[in-house]
This record gives sequence, structure tokens and C-alpha cells, in this order.
Amino acid sequence: MFEKNTSEQTAVSIRHLSKSFDGVEVLRDVDLEVREGDVVTILGSSGSGKSTLLRCINWLEQPDRGSIHIGGQRIGVNDAGRPMPVRELAKVRARTGMVFQSFNLWPHLNVLHNITEAPIHVLGKSKAEAEAHARELLEKVGMSPKADAYPNTLSGGQKQRVAIARALAMQPEVMLFDEPTSALDPELVGEVLAVIKDLSAEGYTMIVVTHEMAFSRAVSDKVVFLDKGLIIEQADPETFFTNPSTERVRKFLEREES
Amino acid sequence: MNASAWHMLLEGAWTTVWISGISIAIGVTAGLILALIRIARIPVVDQVLVLYISLARATPLVTLALFIFLSAPTFGINLDRNVAGILALTLNTTAFNAEIWRSAFRNFSREQREAAMANGMTPWVTFRRIMLPQMMITSLPGLINEMSFLIKGSPAIAVIGIVDLTRVTNRISAVTYEPLPPILVACVLYMAAIGCLVWLQRIAERRANRLAV
Ligand SMILES: Nc1ncnc2c1ncn2[C@@H]1O[C@H](COP(=O)(O)OP(=O)(O)OP(=O)(O)O)[C@@H](O)[C@H]1O
Ligand SMILES: [Mg+2]
Repeated sequence: MFEKNTSEQTAVSIRHLSKSFDGVEVLRDVDLEVREGDVVTILGSSGSGKSTLLRCINWLEQPDRGSIHIGGQRIGVNDAGRPMPVRELAKVRARTGMVFQSFNLWPHLNVLHNITEAPIHVLGKSKAEAEAHARELLEKVGMSPKADAYPNTLSGGQKQRVAIARALAMQPEVMLFDEPTSALDPELVGEVLAVIKDLSAEGYTMIVVTHEMAFSRAVSDKVVFLDKGLIIEQADPETFFTNPSTERVRKFLEREES
Repeated sequence: MNASAWHMLLEGAWTTVWISGISIAIGVTAGLILALIRIARIPVVDQVLVLYISLARATPLVTLALFIFLSAPTFGINLDRNVAGILALTLNTTAFNAEIWRSAFRNFSREQREAAMANGMTPWVTFRRIMLPQMMITSLPGLINEMSFLIKGSPAIAVIGIVDLTRVTNRISAVTYEPLPPILVACVLYMAAIGCLVWLQRIAERRANRLAV
């Protein structure tokens, strides 16, 4: 981990983030810094606000208070303090890539076109350029033979690897993963985690919500624990897993081990 | 039936085909546009559209055709009967198509839309590239159903003097005193037209299977 090239540039900066659903506070004054090249995993029990936090980062949810900057650019709110116009918002969103628990591939497009769709119609790349890049990414996630297949013919693990390639095709500055292996059969979890590990080795900046403890410990630069919308612990994985400072985390880890 | 009877019959068939075809083409497109306007929920405009849709769905085609044809002159418009016929069929079918499109839009997967947004697509690009191609496939059974209703309802335009496939059988038998042969041929032609639509629907269904993830 020490030989990894971690510069001191901030990739994502979250300040005083709060969000309620129907009067219930789901995120409470969350602060989080993610440096370029870092892998941050977010842990916490069900309903603690992990997905909501991730979805605020690319403005799929609109926070009630606080600010989020991606590579120094504020998302969702423009310089005048007004809600961003949709085109501008889309541009900032494109600086992040998201991988969903349920893959969310577009079923009317084959694997190759799922990956080239946004680069062509958002970034304005040529078809040839987008396809060449897509084939490189398919190679990276081990899905080259399935370039012409339609999503409904793939296994969950294969779909998720295509979804990862699709997000990477936009060359995002940060990748957001929301429980990327939770919908998978146990025997397919490994192939997806292996891809994410490769990405971390290549220096991608990533924020990963996960229930896979061994994976979190192996891949993280920082582990964040959410409890009822509060970040109650933030530490390097060694400290977090062997010597957590709160009773809540200690209990959580005991339960996960059993 | 002699050659001239056949000739008349085919002319009637052609009238039905082109008038229905134009009405279907306009009706499908206009239905989509109305559905999108309704989804935008613009005040007043929305209420006007709701009123139009319920009126158009409740009015019999014959009545609508007569109303359009007879009321046009009072507005100082000199309507060609074919135009009036197309207008009646289109006003009727658009109302039904708008509801079909709207339900396809509302039922569209939120997850897929979120994936599009997360990939930096604007709402317009999301609609054009992700939603519309799938909405066309999922709406097609409903739209085709509506197309065959339109074709089967099209004899209503005879009331304003258009000689369509049904009306022409009357004219032929007035000369030949044999009503059955032309009516039989007309039935076969209607069935052929509906058959084409059903065949299209089969192809659509095969493509729709792919969408079931
Ligand atoms: N769109 C919404 N409307 C209303 N309540 C919501 C919405 N999204 C999330 N919530 C609520 O907010 C809380 C936090 O949800 P969130 O999905 O962020 O939790 P999570 O930590 O991701 O849980 P899990 O591990 O089950 O995915 C939950 O109580 C949930 O019911
Ligand atoms: Mg979640």
C-alpha cells in the first residue's frame, strides 16, 4: 500500500451533509474527505444511510444541507447558490461513475453498446473510438467474449462486471459502488471483488459500500462506519478491524465474524 | 363480380388503407407528444388535455366525424371530406395512444433511469436513447391493438360521404344485385390488414423478451 501513488489532491469532499426522508434524519452532519487514489469503504448495518450517502455524492438524492465537491467542483448547486440546471448537473455527475447493487444495465442494448452509449451521446466520442475503448475495458473485466451478448443472457457476476466497465468508460474521477456483490450468488462474489481489487491496484479513487469485511480490510485506505446517519468511526483498516474505538463497531464486527 | 366491380372494391380498399394509415401515423406520434406534455404536468394545459382525452374516448366515431364535417363551415373552414375523416380518426386514436404511451413512461424502470443519470445523461438524452426504444417495444401491443380498432372503426367515415372499403360494397351490390360477393371480399381484405398487424405484434413480442432482465 505504501508504494501506491497517493497524492494529496482531494477527489471528493463532503461537508456537513444532512438528509431527511419524511422527517426522519438519515444522514446527520456527515464530513468525509477522499483523496485521489484512495479506496474508502463504508460499513454499517442496514438502514444506517450508506446508500443515501453514496447517492448524494452524484446527486441521485438531494441533500437538505451541506456541500459536496468532486475534484473541487461543487455538485448540485451553482456559483450563485441556485440549483444547477440539468445540463450542468449532468456534466458534474459524469465526473463520477456508479455501480449499483442490481446492476441496472440497459436491456435493449448489447454489452458493447451498454458501454459505448454514454461516451458517444454524453462525451461526444466517435463510435470507433468509443468501441475501441469499450473493448479494452471488457478485456480488463474479463468479459471480451460477451461483447455482443444481451444483458438477459448474462449471470449476475457477468452483469456486474459489464456495469463496472460501463462506469469506467466515462473515465470518472471517482467510482462509487453500492453493495456491488450483495445481489450475487455466493460463488459469483469473488469474480466481482477481484475486478474491484484490480482497479484499486491501478490507483482508481473509489468509495465502496460493502458487507464484505475481508475485502474491506484488504483493499481500503480508509474505513468509514455509519450508524444511524452518523459517521461514528473513520480509521485505517488495521486500526478499524483490530482496535476499533467504539463499542458499537466492536459489536458490529463480532456479529459479522460469526 | 365483373372487372369494374373489382376495380371499385380495390379503390375502396385503398381509401381505407391510406386514410387509416395517415391517421395511425399521426395518432401514434401525437399520442406520444401529448403523453409527454401530460407528464410535464403543466397547469391548465394538463386539465385541457384530460378533458380532450375523456371527450374523445367517450364520443362515437360516427358522431365525431359528422360533428367535424358539419361544424367546420360554421367556423368558416371549408373542409375536404377526406381531411375531415382523417381528423376524426386521428382525434379518436390519439386520445387512446396518449394513455398507452403515458403508462409506458410511468412504468419505466427507475433503476435504469438512475443508471443513465449516473452516466451523465441529461433527461432528454435519457429519454431518447434509453427510455423511448424500450417504450416503443413495451407499448407496441397496446398501440397495435388500437390500430386494429381504428381500422375496424374506419367505416364510420362513410357517414360524411367517403367511399371506403365497406361503403363501396353497397355501391357494387346496388348495380349487381349480389351483395354477398363484395362483402365477402371486403371481409377478407380487413382480415388481411389486421393479420399484418398481428404479425408485427409477434415480432415485437419476440424483441420484448430481451427486455425481461
Ligand atoms: N427514497 C426514500 N424515501 C423514504 N425513505 C428512504 C428513501 N431511501 C431511503 N430511505 C430510508 O432511509 C434510511 C437509510 O436508507 P439507506 O438505503 O441509505 O440505508 P443503507 O445503509 O444503504 O441500508 P442497506 O444496507 O439496507 O442498503 C432507511 O431507513 C430507509 O428506509
Ligand atoms: Mg443500501
